[in-house]
Amino acid sequence: MSVITRAEPGARTKLPPEQPSIPQRKGGTAGYWLYLLPGFVLLLVIVIIPLIFNIYLTFTEWRGVRTPEFIGLENWFKIFTDEDFWTSFTNSVWMVLAMVVIPTTIGLIVAALLFDVVGRKFGGKVGSFLRATYYLPQILPIAVAGIVIGWMFRPGATGSVNQMLAVFGIPAYDWLGQMPSALLVLMGVLVWVQLGYPIVVFMAALQRVDPELYEAAELDGANWFQRFSAITMSIIRPEIFVVTLTCTIAALKVFGPVYIITQGGPAGATLVPAYYAYTEFFTKRNIGYGATIATVLTVLVVVVSIIFIRVQNSMERKERAGL
Amino acid sequence: MARFTRTNGRRGLAAVGALTIGALALSACAGGSSDGGDGDTLKLWHYEGEDSAMAKAWNEAIAVFEEETGATVEFEQKSFEQIQKTASQVLDSDAAPDLMEFNKGNATAGFLASTGLIADISDAVDEYGWADKLAPSLQTTAKYSEDGVMGGDTWYGIPNYGEFVGVYYNEDAFAEAGLEIPTTYDEFVDVLDAFVAQGITPLAEAGAEYPLGQLWYQLALAQADRQFVNDYQLYENPVDWQGPELTAATETLKEYVDKGYISSDVSSVKAEDAGVSFINGTAPIFVSGSWWYGRFVEEAGFDWSLQAFPDSKLSLGSSGNLWVVPENAANKELAYEFIDITMRPEIQAIIGNNGGVPVAAEPADITDEKSAELIATFNGVLDNDGLSFYPDWPAAGFYDVIVRELQGLVTGTQDVEATNANLGAEYEEGTADFR
Repeated sequence: MSVITRAEPGARTKLPPEQPSIPQRKGGTAGYWLYLLPGFVLLLVIVIIPLIFNIYLTFTEWRGVRTPEFIGLENWFKIFTDEDFWTSFTNSVWMVLAMVVIPTTIGLIVAALLFDVVGRKFGGKVGSFLRATYYLPQILPIAVAGIVIGWMFRPGATGSVNQMLAVFGIPAYDWLGQMPSALLVLMGVLVWVQLGYPIVVFMAALQRVDPELYEAAELDGANWFQRFSAITMSIIRPEIFVVTLTCTIAALKVFGPVYIITQGGPAGATLVPAYYAYTEFFTKRNIGYGATIATVLTVLVVVVSIIFIRVQNSMERKERAGL
Repeated sequence: MARFTRTNGRRGLAAVGALTIGALALSACAGGSSDGGDGDTLKLWHYEGEDSAMAKAWNEAIAVFEEETGATVEFEQKSFEQIQKTASQVLDSDAAPDLMEFNKGNATAGFLASTGLIADISDAVDEYGWADKLAPSLQTTAKYSEDGVMGGDTWYGIPNYGEFVGVYYNEDAFAEAGLEIPTTYDEFVDVLDAFVAQGITPLAEAGAEYPLGQLWYQLALAQADRQFVNDYQLYENPVDWQGPELTAATETLKEYVDKGYISSDVSSVKAEDAGVSFINGTAPIFVSGSWWYGRFVEEAGFDWSLQAFPDSKLSLGSSGNLWVVPENAANKELAYEFIDITMRPEIQAIIGNNGGVPVAAEPADITDEKSAELIATFNGVLDNDGLSFYPDWPAAGFYDVIVRELQGLVTGTQDVEATNANLGAEYEEGTADFR
């Protein structure tokens, strides 16, 4: 365990003797900044400048060509009374449920089962095969998956889902054309696509667990759930944080599946912020308002990320302190 | 409210712009541009499918052009969506073509015209005499005001073809059901009832794309006069969204779903699926555009006909898409020469004989009987001054709004009044700059 020491004011901090020091050029570390320059230029070009320009656009009315017209806070005031905006952010909660809560929960259980039960009883190869099976939707391009899903859920007797239901005497239903079902189908697709990611990450994390821990716990009379909560959950907690954070960001800015499968319909039932910003940008040419929605989304993603990282750091500190 | 002045805006943008240009310079791909400007190359973009009547005619026009001028045509096939969504950015750069096909209407060609991205071609129109070949109602969508409102006095495009929305009838299905093709609206409704009574959903429809919105607007046109169209499309007067035309349209559409004339599953159906359900004989009636005509000739294995919507003097329709010349085009003169070739009778005849609706063909050149029938129906609409454009034209993005609101109506989540109120609010917002 590392010991944190505080340097006396005015004293020069020295590296501990066991830590090798990086050979220094004469003239200090200035030369190393040269190597960071390409990365910084790319960051500037791809992220920082567009972000600044995007924020500037939120104060303008612009149709995409010629000079934007400055309109102050009009776009920001409009957002508060825009029902579509609030609908899209409400739908984001459903997207978080479909892309974070459900896949992470199921992923945890499946990964633990594959490692603790399947892996031990049937060997590692079976576990690996099943893991690959769960991961398959992740490598499928969402455009392809979306088109196939669209065909499956076609209304009337032409959709394969309705054809299967007809076998059991269940009448055809317009899955993507009715209000609750379109959102549920979209969420189902997202769960299916997303599930492989936590499973693969969690199973990789579980490689760190000594199988003897499970065996010892089993000998002590611990059932599967006790082993899962005491061993699995405890050891892979950092990975749970990473998966939850990355999936939450993905859920907040989800676009592809909505664009391909429902286009926000029916009647805005599956509208999400990224798709809403896209339509304002490209179909209505309300670039300023689209930029405002995108900026809100960016702020939300940044805030969520900061909260996650702070909570994670706090928990790690508590863990190190033995609390 | 204080406005950011043009000068200040430019200064403010200058810093960001300089950085952005630097950034783009770093990230620019290596391909060189073929600006032309040498008078030897015509850079041409259009998005018509290879088998369409227009593409066939224009391919021939390219051959004639190259032979007559000695210049080369550098053609790039684009998609409709691609040009629709990126045209303003491309035309604002030096990558603009010399000649491009573009969608007509206020929110599209009108928008480009108002921003100065496409050229005022009035002088070329006078020089080549194109105005004499185009009926007045076809000229409406080719001429725009300085605000980009169609029907203005400045030419920004030239159409080669026309289009309109009518009613396709599967005559075999009618015969089998013992029914006559309707000639009045009352007979039309009687036929719908008769098909429903026989367990057949009569109307092929699609709520996820344009067909349902077009039927809705057609139902409004059936109650409307030319002034309503001018108010709705040209902003001459405010539109009453709870008025008789639009209330009747929305109520009737809802009634069509409730009575089973349209499937209750319509909201997620795409246009292609609706067209296919007519082609495969599932639905005997399809209210849609002349752009399906060629395909039905090829694929429908039964007798069918296309007629204007019964008892309605006004029909959806307009000139076809336009040839526009970008302001940044390097070879404008070549572009005008190409447009002129596409207006020749022999090129127009290719459109007419392949299921299209030419605007300047010699009647004697139309040898295909079915095509002659289509052109005669279109000319009947023209003679009545019946072309009334499309419901989504008045405002950018209004297409998505119509789809969304009518989905709300047919799925029962909102009533007629709320649907019209929502449509009206979006219409007002989208057209505020023009009125």
